[in-house]
Amino acid sequence: MTMVLYHGDPNGPSLTVLAALFETGHDAELRPIDLTMGERHSDTVPRNVEVEMSIEGEGPVLVADGEPMADSVFIACYLNDSATMSPIAPQDPFARWQMMTWCRQIIERVAPAAAYLGVKARLADKLSALDDAVFEKLIAPIKSGDLKARWADIRAGAFDEAKIDDSKAKIKAAVEKVDTQLSDGRDWLLGDFSIADLETYAWLSGMRDIEPAAFESATRTGAWIGRMQARPSVARTLSLAKTTAPHQTWAPGPEINRWG
Amino acid sequence: MSDVTLYHWEPNANSGKPMLALMEKGVEFNSHYVDLLDFDQHKPEYLAINPEGTIPAMTHGDRVLTESTAMMEYVDAAFAGPKLMPDDPKDQWRIRWWMKFMDQWLAPSFSMIGWSVFIGPMVRGKDPDMLKAAIDRIPMPERRVAWRKAIYGTFGEEEMKESQSRVALGIRMLEEELSKREWLASDHYSLADVNGFNIAYALPLSQPDLSNDEKTPHILEWLRKIYERPAAKKTWAMGKTDLAARIKFLERS
Repeated sequence: MTMVLYHGDPNGPSLTVLAALFETGHDAELRPIDLTMGERHSDTVPRNVEVEMSIEGEGPVLVADGEPMADSVFIACYLNDSATMSPIAPQDPFARWQMMTWCRQIIERVAPAAAYLGVKARLADKLSALDDAVFEKLIAPIKSGDLKARWADIRAGAFDEAKIDDSKAKIKAAVEKVDTQLSDGRDWLLGDFSIADLETYAWLSGMRDIEPAAFESATRTGAWIGRMQARPSVARTLSLAKTTAPHQTWAPGPEINRWG
Repeated sequence: MSDVTLYHWEPNANSGKPMLALMEKGVEFNSHYVDLLDFDQHKPEYLAINPEGTIPAMTHGDRVLTESTAMMEYVDAAFAGPKLMPDDPKDQWRIRWWMKFMDQWLAPSFSMIGWSVFIGPMVRGKDPDMLKAAIDRIPMPERRVAWRKAIYGTFGEEEMKESQSRVALGIRMLEEELSKREWLASDHYSLADVNGFNIAYALPLSQPDLSNDEKTPHILEWLRKIYERPAAKKTWAMGKTDLAARIKFLERS
């Protein structure tokens, strides 16, 4: 049975999963949805507890064998591990640990920060321009209480200064980490190309025009971003964009870590 | 002498995850107890192993591993013994989803309550200057904030309320999930169960109104079933505090 992928414009988690799909060569029907208008919660997208309570926030949904799946890194692992080769994840246990640990840090620290800054810059005005009734209808089907609250906060422009500063610091630290990682001249973050490259690129590439200072002296990171964009899977992913600047498409992401 | 050393605190939460996984695999390991209540994890000897100062850490030969969930996946893949991840990639996805949900959404709420009633009071009696110095030594800023709140009992009313409501929802979700399948997230005993047991084993004691034989029979049966496993018995026997000793209530009468 062909898989079906419901995805947003290629940025953040949608970018990770689309590129992982193309890297692994699975056959899937692509169904674009507008994550910035809450379409993931509409009746067209199959949902289960894992989709509704995904702490990734507004990410893509892959339906395989009738089961809806959420969380981009784990979907990417699934696509890799159900492919005949292992094209985007190492099989050696220690190399796999390095990849999972790297991704966990992106998921936990970078994704919430990028989403916070991203929606502030790109989504807040769009949501505040909506009629109350339209917005209420948009968020009514959202089952996760904290995700629903994030939508409301974004629309209300309720951004916390401490969280903004913390998010900026996290983006800066992430770029420094990437630049350091590449300092031995390697092309990809963990040696061989992997899900770590996809997930890191997916959350950081849209930060370049929001937090340009973080990237200023990171020349190796700049070159790596160029290599990512030249990679056929990523180029194909970006070509699916419905907007002219998909890296400016931000939907509510994971919540900022509550207590360290 | 094993070439595996685990630096861990009590069989509880993150420390207990690789302890139980190693026991299930039958891997001999050197146990290095890091006393969380004495801030051993921020002392130079431990920071030399894990500069971030988080527990647990594991060494395997000259490899150093941190992050308990990824560490468990390593333990399962790198050593012989019973498999703790089913072969089906779909099961693996579901297991990873539930581990992330527990690690990043449910466990922080459980532990906010646990720290405020258990860890905070246990360390609060120590010398204030020593405590301040201990906090200042913590490498990660997020962990400094967390410890300050735990030690001085300054969790806000709002965040405690939010944690309590997440705990209630999390219990309902676990009960529902365990009513669908014999084990958490798949039909096989797996890392999801090892992970879940470590955050939930004392749930019926800490949340008696929400988790008990009437309201959450599947959770109770699941906890008792895991505690019956020889690996779990051996793991919890390594505990040194009342925290781990609570597990005895899971003995079937």
